[in-house]
Amino acid sequence: MTTTIQEQDGKMVAILKGCLDTAAAPETEKAMSPLNDVEGKDIIIDCTEMEYISSAGLRIFLAILQNAEEKGRQVYIKGINDNVRTIFTITGFINIFKFM
Amino acid sequence: MGADSFIFLGFNFHAWITIATVLAMFSVLLFTKLRPDLVFLGAIAILFVTGVLDAKAAFSGFSSTSVVVIGVLFVVVAGLTHTGVLQWIVKHLLGQPKSYSTAVVRLMLPVAALSSFLSNTTVVALFVNIVKMWSKKLGVSPSKLLIPLSYASGMGGVCTLIGTPPNLIISGLYADHTGTAMNVLATTIPGLFCLFIGVLSIIAMRRLLPDRKAPEAAFEDTSEYTVELLVPSDNPYVGKTIAQAGITEVHGGRLIEVIHFDEVVSPVPDKEPIMGGDRLVFAGQIDEILDLKESHGFVNADHHVFTMDEVDQNRQLRTAYVTFGSSLINTTIGHSTFEKDNNMTLVAVARRGKRVEESPREVKLQAGDTLLFECSPQLSIDTDQLSSQLQFFDSEQVPNIGPKTLVSTTIMIAMVVLSALKVIPLLQCAFLAAIAMLLCRCCSPNQAMKAINWNILMVFAGSVVLGVAIQNTGIAERLAYGILDVCGTNPIIVMTAICFVATFITEFISNTAAGAMFFPIMYEAAVQLGYEPFPFLIALMISVSSSFATPIGSPTHMLVYAPGGYRFSDFIRIGLPMNLIILAANIFIVNVVYPLTPLQ
Repeated sequence: MTTTIQEQDGKMVAILKGCLDTAAAPETEKAMSPLNDVEGKDIIIDCTEMEYISSAGLRIFLAILQNAEEKGRQVYIKGINDNVRTIFTITGFINIFKFM
Repeated sequence: MGADSFIFLGFNFHAWITIATVLAMFSVLLFTKLRPDLVFLGAIAILFVTGVLDAKAAFSGFSSTSVVVIGVLFVVVAGLTHTGVLQWIVKHLLGQPKSYSTAVVRLMLPVAALSSFLSNTTVVALFVNIVKMWSKKLGVSPSKLLIPLSYASGMGGVCTLIGTPPNLIISGLYADHTGTAMNVLATTIPGLFCLFIGVLSIIAMRRLLPDRKAPEAAFEDTSEYTVELLVPSDNPYVGKTIAQAGITEVHGGRLIEVIHFDEVVSPVPDKEPIMGGDRLVFAGQIDEILDLKESHGFVNADHHVFTMDEVDQNRQLRTAYVTFGSSLINTTIGHSTFEKDNNMTLVAVARRGKRVEESPREVKLQAGDTLLFECSPQLSIDTDQLSSQLQFFDSEQVPNIGPKTLVSTTIMIAMVVLSALKVIPLLQCAFLAAIAMLLCRCCSPNQAMKAINWNILMVFAGSVVLGVAIQNTGIAERLAYGILDVCGTNPIIVMTAICFVATFITEFISNTAAGAMFFPIMYEAAVQLGYEPFPFLIALMISVSSSFATPIGSPTHMLVYAPGGYRFSDFIRIGLPMNLIILAANIFIVNVVYPLTPLQ
């Protein structure tokens, strides 16, 4: 599991690659923590190369969303595969996040 | 300076050492949690090292016939309990009485009959759970029946010499002094009379027994049902935390587990997010928890309510009571390592029948509190090891009633009859019965050895030695003279006075120790008055077993204290009048059955 954070067109983009399972969650949470300090920019989580997300992974996404909303910013999720989409659908998180 | 050249208040140096040792010993027993067998051994060591007792006297307790009989009887009783005799009696005798008075009679008589041959503690421990279920069936509060249960075992115990250790100790000392052995049924008639008066008194004074809800009633719904609710994917609380949704503690229960699609979270932290498809497991009262369907939009899981039997596959819920002297008293489970050490989680605490509202792990525990634990179903709890802290009531393997039930009963009856008819002395009879129990496989050698309670034997042996010290140092004689000075020379008044003191002392120390300590005093007093000590000692036997007024007066009281949801004062309220009634009955019947005879 790798996490890369970069700035693109005035937005912060986190690119996730691999399986965001329970074991990988703590490391990913740490890697994504700089997003919590971002001011005045929307956030895009690029999941194009993310194969799976666990409930621990969803907790990280949710924490980022809540933090951003408090600051009046948006969080978008980009490029989820069918597998991950199913998880977002079942958990109802598909209604909470915005997708692009 | 010799021990006899120092005299103060009529007692010599050795007598003062003995008095100081006895007082120190009982203070240590009352106020610390040191093991009683160790305390008694320490006391013997002091008396031996200071020269109060020589080696022969100091270790006489260990070779005392009565102590050996008690040890051997543990094996005989193991044979009876492992072949289901108790269960048979329970099944056939309790029945479905129509009134409280009949219920008391149907309970107290079989319990007394059993206790006259078996250990009182064994009988009460077995009956506690049965009486609780029975009281539910009868619609009577268990607190109305559990004190009578404990009293019946005490009163039944005195009906034979083998029924209770103080009887054996006193009769053993009597045999040592006079060379005549008491008949094993010597106390039967006085004991039965006192039991009869006791049963009538309980019925007459039933208003003094508290009417208290069973402590587990507070857990009843929690321990019997768990409710599982499903969070629909479009539920408005999805993405919110448990705390934000306000479902950690709900009216009537609490959330004990969240099952996400890939993970089970338990205990559930407040920050845990709710996800669609989650299954929320609540413990509590079903109807009130099911209100959450309406208020929060949760739906029934496909398998929404399951009973304990089903829950058992995933978890085990166990109820335990905090014992007297438990190291958990005044501590909170949250601040101790108890849960970690024993792989259990505390789910709820109840005190005197009411659920404690605080977070259970933050409750400062008291003696008698009822605790509900959750642990994995595979975990087998070592209830023996935890018994000094918590009293678990197990749904123990109930032995099957079969031909061996009859065999063990026959062996027991043969033992009593042969020794009562003086065909074979009691000690030999007990050995033969124990061997017969083993040969007939009424209990396995392991069960037999496990049944012998060495700690208790050590305390008994220690009690005998203390009695010897009290006698040898002249304390008994001085006290006897003192009592005669105060009470005059009327033997019945002297007998009553000593029994009165013994009845109250035995509330605070073990019945056996009281028996061993009062034996020499009673014996000397009778001899000084010029009467045969036998009736005096029969009266003493009944007195030292008549500890009704405090829950610490007898181990059987402690067994019923928590399950009955009692307070300390409950025992005082009914126990004080009982002490006096039984004392009067005792003195009356002993003098009728065994009229005083002058010494030859």
